[in-house]
Amino acid sequence: MSLTTIDTATSPRRAAGHAYGWRMLGLLSLLLILAWVGLFAWSAIPLSGTQAMQALFSHPTAQVSDVVVRQLRLPRVLVAGLVGACLATAGALMQGLTRNPLASPGVFGVNAGAALGVALVSTYAGWMGVMGQSSAAILGGGVAWTLVMLLGAAWRPGADKGRLVLAGVAVAALCGALTKASIILAEDQAAGVLTWLAGSVANARWTVWYNLWPVATAGLLAALALAPSLNILAVGDEQARNLGMRLGWVRLAVGIVVLVLVSASVVAAGSIAFVGLLVPHMARALFGIDHRKLLPACCLLGAALVMAADILGRAVAFPSETPAGAVLALIGAPWFIYMVRSRT
Amino acid sequence: MSDLTCPSRHRQLTLSPLQQRVWLLAGLLLIAIIANLCLGAVDLTLTQVWQGLSAEGEQYFTVHEYRLPRIALAIGVGAMLATAGVLVQGVIRNPLASPDILGVSQGAGLAAVSLMTLWPHASIQLLPWAALAGGFSAAVLLWLVCGSKAPPIRMALTGVALAALYSSTIDFLLLTRPLDINNALLWLTGSLWGRGWQQLYTLLPWLILLPAALWLSHRLNLMGLGDDSATCLGVRAPRVRLLALALAVGLTSAAVSLCGPISFLGLVSPHLARQLVGGRHQRLLPVAMLVGAVLLLIADLVARIIHPPIELPAGIMTALIGAPYFLWLLLKLR
Amino acid sequence: MIFSRFVSSPRPTALSLNTSCFTGLQRRLAAALALMALTLLGSLPAQALTVTDARGSFTIDHVPQRVVALENSFVDALAAVRVSPVGVADDNQPERLLPEVREATGPWQSVGTRSQPSLEMIAALKPDLIIADTSRHAGVYNELRKIAPTLMLQSRRETYADNLKSAAIIGEVVGKKAEMQARLQHHQALMASYARQLPQGKVVQFAVARENTLYLHTPDSYAGGVIQSLGLKVPSVSATDQQESRQISLEQMLAINPDYLVVGTYAGNSIVQQWQTEPLWQALTAVQNNHVYTVDGNAWVRSLGILAAEHMGADLVRIFTQP
Repeated sequence: MSLTTIDTATSPRRAAGHAYGWRMLGLLSLLLILAWVGLFAWSAIPLSGTQAMQALFSHPTAQVSDVVVRQLRLPRVLVAGLVGACLATAGALMQGLTRNPLASPGVFGVNAGAALGVALVSTYAGWMGVMGQSSAAILGGGVAWTLVMLLGAAWRPGADKGRLVLAGVAVAALCGALTKASIILAEDQAAGVLTWLAGSVANARWTVWYNLWPVATAGLLAALALAPSLNILAVGDEQARNLGMRLGWVRLAVGIVVLVLVSASVVAAGSIAFVGLLVPHMARALFGIDHRKLLPACCLLGAALVMAADILGRAVAFPSETPAGAVLALIGAPWFIYMVRSRT
Repeated sequence: MSDLTCPSRHRQLTLSPLQQRVWLLAGLLLIAIIANLCLGAVDLTLTQVWQGLSAEGEQYFTVHEYRLPRIALAIGVGAMLATAGVLVQGVIRNPLASPDILGVSQGAGLAAVSLMTLWPHASIQLLPWAALAGGFSAAVLLWLVCGSKAPPIRMALTGVALAALYSSTIDFLLLTRPLDINNALLWLTGSLWGRGWQQLYTLLPWLILLPAALWLSHRLNLMGLGDDSATCLGVRAPRVRLLALALAVGLTSAAVSLCGPISFLGLVSPHLARQLVGGRHQRLLPVAMLVGAVLLLIADLVARIIHPPIELPAGIMTALIGAPYFLWLLLKLR
Repeated sequence: MIFSRFVSSPRPTALSLNTSCFTGLQRRLAAALALMALTLLGSLPAQALTVTDARGSFTIDHVPQRVVALENSFVDALAAVRVSPVGVADDNQPERLLPEVREATGPWQSVGTRSQPSLEMIAALKPDLIIADTSRHAGVYNELRKIAPTLMLQSRRETYADNLKSAAIIGEVVGKKAEMQARLQHHQALMASYARQLPQGKVVQFAVARENTLYLHTPDSYAGGVIQSLGLKVPSVSATDQQESRQISLEQMLAINPDYLVVGTYAGNSIVQQWQTEPLWQALTAVQNNHVYTVDGNAWVRSLGILAAEHMGADLVRIFTQP
């Protein structure tokens, strides 16, 4: 039952071995090209592809173009990629955990909860600075997700997929209403908080990267380690228990990893929605449902998607920038509609 | 008389505590109305309020031109949103459903925000009409995407997905035009500020949908038994569902077009009403209307008097009052 | 059956809209006729005064004593001719208005936020003139008019030149036409003397720093207009851009690279503090020449008007003449 809902047109067994390697290689080269384009495309300062390469591989100079690539573009591209990887992996984990094809940080209110936390801290306790915002994001996201899981009765066998999603929507609406309220009450911060809510990597610098990568890498590795358990989880509670799995612990572990991944990316780039929803489905269509192969593919695809969205965000209203998250939401929402039509 | 038609399992409710509750609610409504007339940035005595009702009175503007239409509008809008909530929950058969999941409020919001940001010089009088058109277009789009035979839960999910599309577009517009953010957000939160007799007259024709909803109540009761049983009892389930949803769309669009999407009212009022008088729609609908009216009146009152002369949007208050109750209720329902 | 009702119900409302427009037109026509009759008869002393506002024409037959102003620029204009408003939509934070403005007027009663002023509070103040903003308060124009004659003028998105015109209108309406003209001449002279003290043609960019965003004010903005009127130049973010302010990244800041950067800040952290630590910030011409200055965000962004422009001019002179 659960297999059929998650499964896609491609049979998992055919996507084995050889093809998998080639496809991963293809994805990797796509990612590298996107990263390279991201280094110079749509810059307010004229930059060319060769300049970008020179800035990366030759001796550092004090030229403005050189410094822009090194200090602004490179960390931005890296953060975009890593955030995409984290969110996509988190989405895959959530879908595996709940066996719900619509599960993702955005739909389940984690983003909205994190956003509420940040909005509250930045409007009422601005003195707490970035650290305060980070912890508020983690706390808010965690509380929202726990609530959704409790409300949707996600743990019950045969839990209604719709109920879980509606619970997520209700909690997201609650958080959204409170976020709006706090923004209206503190008029000055409105634009800043909204940019943050949409999710943007425009202000990602090396410090952001240094804060992000250790946590994100740990989370991604933990996710990979959990991949075999997720495979077992997919066959159903009963069988999983028969295979000697301790369901409660696995679920707890997956939940914590999801929270770590989402919080790390929310702190780095704000709440970028729809990556966690879209990417796992794309990856499943390309690479099958084995989580050991699926999760690395999700990382690459998610990274490519957010990088592309960031490039697009610079292009749509050049020379001013549109947050990558806003662009992704515009792309992602129609996909969400399509998913509902085809997967429920 | 409608008791004759209802399934026997509802008979176990004794009438007298029920009546007590309804009277209590009516009393609350009266108190809320009087409080709304007397309290505000300027507090008035009952005598002043009475004098203010006549054109010669000193407080004529505050009482007759400002507070009175606002109260009437709050009652109307509260009742409409609550009714829409009952209809949607009855048809989708899910306690978490609300008019919001049809994407109507968000569609109306998108239309309103587009007008505000893309044509900032357009007349403000156009705003309700744009919102109304947006709400109806959203409903039509939902119907086109789902088809009429979609199972209710799928319809709800499609509505949620469409709502996500509208909200992302709203965010996109707000982000590319930062100067209008605050005005747009104010509208999007839902507010009764500055609404007068003119808005009330615009609302009046829509109130006809309320008795129409009551007229459906018997069939909604049967729908609660499941599509199959309802069909056996002679109800054409898909048709009733379509009618009920169309009513909900009309009610929500009209309410939202005038006051903006007031959050949680459509979600919470049906639950509160159900706790008071049970699930029979003949009783549930009128009581839910009362609850919705009382809630919105209280929310608007609090929004006006919490920090005078600052006026907060009533939508913030309904969220603050409604959301915790809703969470508590859900955790209990589980 | 329900369906037919449901479909037909918009019709009466549409009709009612039309009729309401019609009666509005009629009322306006009647008012215009009455006005003409009045002026022809000359029954009133020469006091009845008509000016052009955003709604067409505005007529008032008395010298207002109790004025309520719903935007900061209106308070500025009142302060310029020493008229104290009884009520101001000051967001309940009077300190957001210029100190010069607060000194020139007496204390006032707050009537709430500019976006949603409390109409009850305005009514309770029994004003005989309300000055409201075209865009923010269009929705409550009819209600405001029931309280007192309402003068609708543009305040948000107003340019420097338009603001001076609005100030002249306000001066006329509050019965201080001569004083306002004198004040405006004094203003022009003062601004001209400021301009003489400033180096002409330098590129000055005004930006507002928030906690994690920086907004540039374009040549079309109010601050941009004041800077240009002083003989300085304001760079445009882009040629096609009609917005008054734009959120920008450090990269775009580098592309614009103004000679002088004036940053308006509010209490709390600003993004400039964060950017200062970065090597690219040091690549800005303004930074290399030590030409980055901080000014009060309240005075430069939230305040528009004669006194506000003079405050900005004085700030700029101080910036350019300090060693």
